[in-house]
Amino acid sequence: MSGTERPPSADDLAAMAYVDGELAPVERTAFEARLEREPALVREVAAQQRLAVLARSVAPREPMDLEWRRIESSMEHRVGAPLGWTLLAVGAGGLAAWCAFEVGAAPIGIVPKLLTAAIAAGFLLLLLLALRARSRTKPFDPYDDVLR
Amino acid sequence: MILVTTDAIPGREIERVIGLVRGNTVRSAPASEDLHAWFENVVGGEIPEYTRLLAQCREQALDRVVADARAKGADAVVALRFVSCEIAEGAAEILAYGTAVKLKG
Repeated sequence: MSGTERPPSADDLAAMAYVDGELAPVERTAFEARLEREPALVREVAAQQRLAVLARSVAPREPMDLEWRRIESSMEHRVGAPLGWTLLAVGAGGLAAWCAFEVGAAPIGIVPKLLTAAIAAGFLLLLLLALRARSRTKPFDPYDDVLR
Repeated sequence: MILVTTDAIPGREIERVIGLVRGNTVRSAPASEDLHAWFENVVGGEIPEYTRLLAQCREQALDRVVADARAKGADAVVALRFVSCEIAEGAAEILAYGTAVKLKG
């Protein structure tokens, strides 16, 4: 769904029917074949799935939710939380850089240094791959917006 | 698709039992949320990050039950149950399962 006021198109209706499991087996197979080659339709289905999950899990707000919202919007939280995260990130990054420098300058053989570098590089590579995979699937994950 | 935790659906007659249907998922929160949750754990009270994580697991597992039931031609799932466990530090697994049935009429 684009969120505009336009009437639903045939594709919108087909995506809704697909998500709700209302298509006949033949129609479903044909629709899934279209999904293989039409990214716009995939996005429409993802949006419809997100709506369906939200509609199912929607519940009245409880005082606890409202209290959390109030805390999160308070001045201390808005200022303190980013500051805390920044301090943590700077500290962790600085410590990692210091460790790398110390290992590089340590009076040890080249082999332990290469092995340490390989561990660090492997860790970073795997982390980046996981981040990349997640960033690709995240826009189509209908469960991301579920709160409780 | 009708999903119920009871063994029968009032007002509807079960024509035949199709069998077990299930759906599970394992999800984890980002490390930043885990860290935030750790601080909330120190002071007590609800941990919204984990409430949300389990809710996401529950909805995904339910969707997989429904998909499994649809694929088997069921009209409803009775005796629906949830089980959960921690498969890894900070990750939650939820398994939903039930009995797929075909209804009369």
